[in-house]
Amino acid sequence: MSSPPASGVTDPQDASPLTAGELRHQSEVAASHLPPLLVEAQHLAGSVLLGEHGRRRAGMGDDFWQYRPVQLGDSRRMIDHRRSAKGDQQFVREREWQIAQTVHLWVDQGASMRYASDKALPRKIDRARLLGLATSILMLRGGERVGLTGGMLPPRRGNAQVMRLAEHLSQDQATDYTPPEDRAMMPHARVLFISDFLGPFDPIQQALAKAADRGVQGVLLQVLDPAEEEFPFHGRTIFHSVAGGLSHETLKAGALRQRYLDRLAERRDALDHLCRTAGWRLGQHHTGDSAQTALMWLYHAMERNNA
Amino acid sequence: MTTIAGIGFASPWLLLALLALPLLWLLLRAVPPAPRKRLFPAVTLLLGLRDDDSLSDRTPWWLLLLRMLAVAAAIVGLAGPVLNPTTEPSGRGPLLVVLDGSWAGAPNWERTRDEMDRLLAEAGRADRAVALMRLTAPEAPVFQSAASWRRKLAGEAPLPWQPTTEQLATARAQIDAIDTDFDTVWFSDGLDYAEREALISQLAQRGTLIAYEHPQATTALRPVGHVDGMMEISVTSSQAVPSQVVTVLARGPDPGGTMRTLGSVTVDFGDTATIQDNGATATARLALPSELRARIRHFEIQGQRGAGAVALSDDSLRRREVALISSQSGNEGLALLSPLHYLRKALEPTADLLDGALSDLIPANPDVIVLADTARLPPDQESAVIGWVEEGGLLLRFAGPRLAASDTARTEEEPLLPVRLRIGGRSIGGAMSWGEPKTLAPFAETSPFFGLTIPADVTVSSQVVAQPDPQLASRVIAELSDGTPLVTRKSLGDGQIILFHVTANAEWSSLPLSGLFVQMMERLAISSGAKPPAAGDLEGTTWAPLQVLDGFGTLADAAALPGVSGPDLVEKPVGPDLRPGLYQSGERSIARNVLRADELLTPAEWPASVAISRYATAPERPLGGLLISLALLLMCVDVVAALALSGLLLKSGVSRRLSSFFLVATTGAALAVVQVSGAWAQGNAVPIDTQPDDIAPLHASELTLAHVLTGDRQVDAVALDGLRGLSDTLRFRTSVEPAPPASVDLEQDELSLFPLLYWPVTADQPMPSGNAYDKLNAYLRTGGMILFDTRDADITRSGASSPAGRRLQQLALRLDVPPLEPVPNDHVLTRAFYLLQDFPGRHTRGAVWVEAAPADAEQIEGIPFRNLNDGVTPVVIGGNDWAAAWAVDANGRPLLPVGRGFAGERQRELAHRFGVNLVMHVLTGNYKSDQVHVPALLDRLGQ
Repeated sequence: MSSPPASGVTDPQDASPLTAGELRHQSEVAASHLPPLLVEAQHLAGSVLLGEHGRRRAGMGDDFWQYRPVQLGDSRRMIDHRRSAKGDQQFVREREWQIAQTVHLWVDQGASMRYASDKALPRKIDRARLLGLATSILMLRGGERVGLTGGMLPPRRGNAQVMRLAEHLSQDQATDYTPPEDRAMMPHARVLFISDFLGPFDPIQQALAKAADRGVQGVLLQVLDPAEEEFPFHGRTIFHSVAGGLSHETLKAGALRQRYLDRLAERRDALDHLCRTAGWRLGQHHTGDSAQTALMWLYHAMERNNA
Repeated sequence: MTTIAGIGFASPWLLLALLALPLLWLLLRAVPPAPRKRLFPAVTLLLGLRDDDSLSDRTPWWLLLLRMLAVAAAIVGLAGPVLNPTTEPSGRGPLLVVLDGSWAGAPNWERTRDEMDRLLAEAGRADRAVALMRLTAPEAPVFQSAASWRRKLAGEAPLPWQPTTEQLATARAQIDAIDTDFDTVWFSDGLDYAEREALISQLAQRGTLIAYEHPQATTALRPVGHVDGMMEISVTSSQAVPSQVVTVLARGPDPGGTMRTLGSVTVDFGDTATIQDNGATATARLALPSELRARIRHFEIQGQRGAGAVALSDDSLRRREVALISSQSGNEGLALLSPLHYLRKALEPTADLLDGALSDLIPANPDVIVLADTARLPPDQESAVIGWVEEGGLLLRFAGPRLAASDTARTEEEPLLPVRLRIGGRSIGGAMSWGEPKTLAPFAETSPFFGLTIPADVTVSSQVVAQPDPQLASRVIAELSDGTPLVTRKSLGDGQIILFHVTANAEWSSLPLSGLFVQMMERLAISSGAKPPAAGDLEGTTWAPLQVLDGFGTLADAAALPGVSGPDLVEKPVGPDLRPGLYQSGERSIARNVLRADELLTPAEWPASVAISRYATAPERPLGGLLISLALLLMCVDVVAALALSGLLLKSGVSRRLSSFFLVATTGAALAVVQVSGAWAQGNAVPIDTQPDDIAPLHASELTLAHVLTGDRQVDAVALDGLRGLSDTLRFRTSVEPAPPASVDLEQDELSLFPLLYWPVTADQPMPSGNAYDKLNAYLRTGGMILFDTRDADITRSGASSPAGRRLQQLALRLDVPPLEPVPNDHVLTRAFYLLQDFPGRHTRGAVWVEAAPADAEQIEGIPFRNLNDGVTPVVIGGNDWAAAWAVDANGRPLLPVGRGFAGERQRELAHRFGVNLVMHVLTGNYKSDQVHVPALLDRLGQ
C-alpha cells in the first residue's frame, strides 16, 4: 500500500489510492485538532430535524436557555417551581431551540486531481479528500447529517457515516475533468464542493444555479498545485492532462507564463463572481500549504452566517 | 616546431580547425533543444494560447560560449602545444656528453639528469650520434643513438669523489683515440680539479664546447674536530656568500635504534666565515653530553644531498670510560709516585676517568679497567671482572713491586693475567746490577703497535718476566731489545687482558714519560685521539672498509671492497680505490670523509671561449594534456548546465541521480586536470609534525590518579569520572590533593608517573603488546599498584567464572603478580585511613584480593593484627565496580545510583572510604602497620 497522503509520497501515475480505513484515520487525525464544528442552521426548513444545535433562541430542545417571567398564555405546567419558589415572582424555564443541519459534500474524483508537481507534495485529490472528510467528521460530531451529493450516499448522522463517506470518497474516476454533482441536494441544506475547478466552466455554473434554486448555500474550495499557480516552466514543452485527453505544445513555455496566469486569475474571478451571486463562498488552497489552515478556513466558512 | 606567441605547436595545421568554430556557433544556435513532456492538469487554461515567436528558446549565449571553448580547447590541445619550447639551433655531427658526476652534483642531480635527457632527446631528433663520458669513471666513449643513452640515463648516479688525476689522464687518452670531430657538452658540478684546463683545451680543439653549470655554491662538511671538549663543525663553500646559513645535524641512533637528530648547530657564513681563494669556510661549535656524543654516527647539512654534505664520525668522537684502580689508593704517597699519575695524565684529555672501588665500578660497565700493581683480586671481584672481560671489557694491568713479590700465576696461568710470571722479576742497569737499561725492540708486524716510532730515550730498568710457555710468543705484542716480553695480551671471551710488564709510573721504566706511551694507549683503543690521526701514526696498519658512502651521501655496506693502508687512508684524496666511509682496524675505526680537514673547494673557471649555459629556468612543458582535460571539464560543465536549463536537474529522482553522477564526473575531471597539471605544483610538501603535547611534566609535578584505557568508551568515561570523584573526596578529607585524573594508554604513555592505576576489565578488551607488558612489569616492580576491577560482582562472586574474570586471567598471565589471597581482616587496607571491614563499590558482594601475607607472619602479642609483609601489594583485584560508585558528574553530583535510599548512600560513602584507604596505602605503604610499634619504640627510647 502507498503511504498516507499527509506525508505526500504518492506519485501521480503509479500511486494506489488510500484505503477507506487509512483515509478515515488521516481525517480523524486532522479533525482532532478542532472543536466540534457546529454548522449554523440558517434556515428553518422542512428538512429541519431536532438535534443538538442551539439556535440561540428559545425553542424545543433539552438545554437550558433562560428563565422568563410567566406571561399571559403560559400554561401553569410551564412554571418552574424551583426557581419560582425563591421569590414571589413566577418564572418559566425556557429551553434552547436545537435543530440539526444537513450538509452535502462533493469532492472532485477526476483524473486532473491526481497530480502533484513534486514528490514532496501530496496529490491534489488526496488533499481534497482529506479536507472533505475532516470537515465531515467535524460536522458529524456536531450532530449534523452529512452525505454526498448525487444520491449515492444520503445524509445521515452518526459515526458510522464517516466510514461510509470515506469509502465513497476513495473511488477514483477515470475522466479528466468531472463536473460537480448537483443532483439530490436537499433543499436548504449546506453544500461543500472541493475541486480544482479547471474543467469546463458551464457545469459549475449550472450546479450553482441549481443549488441556488433550491435555497442551498455552500462553499467552493479550489485546491491547486503550486506549479499550477506559478507556471515555472521554460523551453520547448508539451503539456498534457493526466488522463492524456488534452495536450498543448509550446516552443517557449516561459513566454506563456503571464498569459496563463492571467487566464487563471480570470477563472478565479469568474468563480468568485458566481459565488457572490449565489451567496456562496469561494476558498483557495494549495497543496503546498498546510491542510490545517484550509480546515480552519472551512470551519469558519461553514460556521459563518451568510444570511 | 612552429612557435606561435611563445608556445610551440607540434602539429600547427590542426589549428585550422578553429576556423570552423563560427560555423558551429550558427549550427548550435539553429537547433532547438528537444521538447519535454509534462503532466499539467491546468492545460485547459493553456489551450488556444499561441507562441509569440515561431523560434523556440535559443540556447543561451553563455552555454554556447562554453561549448565553443570546449571545442577550441580540444582543438588546441590536439595541436600539441608546448610551453617554453626549445628553440636553440642544434648542431650536427657526433656529440660527446661529458659529465663530472661527482658528489658535488648530487644536490642538483635530478635537474642535471632532466637536462641531459632533454639534450639527448634533442640530439635524437637531430639524428646525432651521442657518446657519454663520466670523468669520475671514464670509459672509452662509444657513439650510439641518443635513444639508447636515454634509456641508460635513469641508472646514472653521482659518485662520491672528484675526478682524480689518473682518471683525467685516462679520459684524455680515450678522447684522443676518437678519430672524428665532435661537439661537446660538459655538465660540470661547479668545482675545479687538477688537469681540468688541459681537458677543456683538448675538447675545444675538436669542436664547440658548451658547459652546463649550476649557479649555486657547493657546500661541504669537513671532518668534525674537537676543541675544548666541544665539537667543532666547519662547513666550506665554493663561493663566499655572507648571507649563507646552513644547519648541520648530528644524527645517530636513539636507545631504541632509530636514527634521530641528536643535536643541531647553525653555521652562519656571515659571522664566522674565513674567505680563501674565492671560497669560504665557516665554523660553529656544538656541545653535547658524552652519552649523546658517543652515539653520533654522522653529521649532515640539513636539506642537502650528496656525500660532501655528510661527515662520518668515528672513534674520535667517543670518549671511553676508563676505571683506574690501584692497590695503593688509600696511601698518601707523593702524586708523582702514584702508580696512576701518568696514566691519568695520558688519558685525561680523551677519556672519562672513573675512580672508586672495583666492586662499585664494575656495575658501571666501563670500557677499560686499569689495574695498577694489583696482585690478586678477592674471589667474588675476580669472577665479576672475568665476566666483565668476557663481555667485551678491556683489562689493562701494570706490573709493580706487589705483583713481582706475590705468588700470583707462578705455576699455572691466572685467568686475569696473559702469561705466567717468574718470581721476583728482574732489574737491569740499576745500582746493584750489571748491564745497561734495556731499550724497546721494534714492533713486530703482527703487533698493534706496528709502525710506531720508538724514541731512543725509552728505557726499561725493571720488569716482571714471563715464564716461557707455548703460547707466549703469540701473546707478546711488545718486547725489549733482548727479546723479553714487555707487553703481553690474551683474549678472554669477547674481551682481552693486556699486561704491561713495567709499572705505570716512572719507577721501572721511562716509558710512561714518553709520547710513545700515549700512542700505545691510542693503538689499544684505550684513549681516542683528540686530533685526527696523522699518516705517521697509522704507519703499518691496514684498514678494512666497513661502510661506504655513495654519491648521495647514503651509507651502504662496504661488501667486498679491499682494505686500505693507514697512511693512504689519511693522505690520499678519495677516489675509486679509497671511498669515503668508515674504516676499521682491530678495535679502532676511522672515518674517511670526502673532504679532509684542510681541503678547500675551488669553483670551476671556464675560459672565455667556452659558452656556459645555465640550466633552463623553465623547462619545456607540453600543454596538450592540460587543454584536453580543460575541454573535458568544460563538456562536463556543459552537461550539467544543459540539464539545469531543461529543468531536469534536481527535479526528479532519476535526474537527481544523474546530476550527482555528473557532478562526480566533473569533480573527477577536475581532479584529473589537477593531476595533469601536477607538474605545475612543484613545491615541496612540508611534512606536518604532529607531536602530541607532552603532558608528562604535568603528571610528574602533581599526584595524579590514572585509569587504563580499555577501548570501551563508556567504561573509560565512568572510570575517569570515578577517579575524579575519588580525587575530590581525597582533596576534601585528606592532605592528598590530586590533580585531575588521567587516562593512560598502556602502549604509549609513561606509567611511572602514576602511583595507582585503576584498570576496569572488560570482556573484550585487547591484550597489551609485549612492550606494554614490559612497562607494566617494571611499573609493578618499582612500587606501582594496579587496581583491577572486573565490575561484575553482581553476577559472580569469585570473579573467575565471568567473561571479564576470564579476560583478567588472560591479561594478568604475563604480569609479575605475586600469590594472592582475599584481604585478611588485619590487612593494612582495612585501617590505612578509615577503619573498614568490607570494600563495597557499586556492588557489595565481591571478594577483594591482595598480595598474600608471607607464611611466617605472626601475630604480635597484644596487637590485634599480624606483622604483615613489608611492601605494598602491587595488585588489588576485585569486582565491585568502584569507579561507578565514585563517579561524579561535572557538578560533583553522583553520576550513577548506588543501592537504594540511605543504605545506598552509606554504601557509596564506604566505597569512597575504600578509595581513600587504597590511595593512602599506596602512598604511605606499611606506615599504619608500623604505627603499632610506636609504643614499643618509645619505650625503648626511654621516653
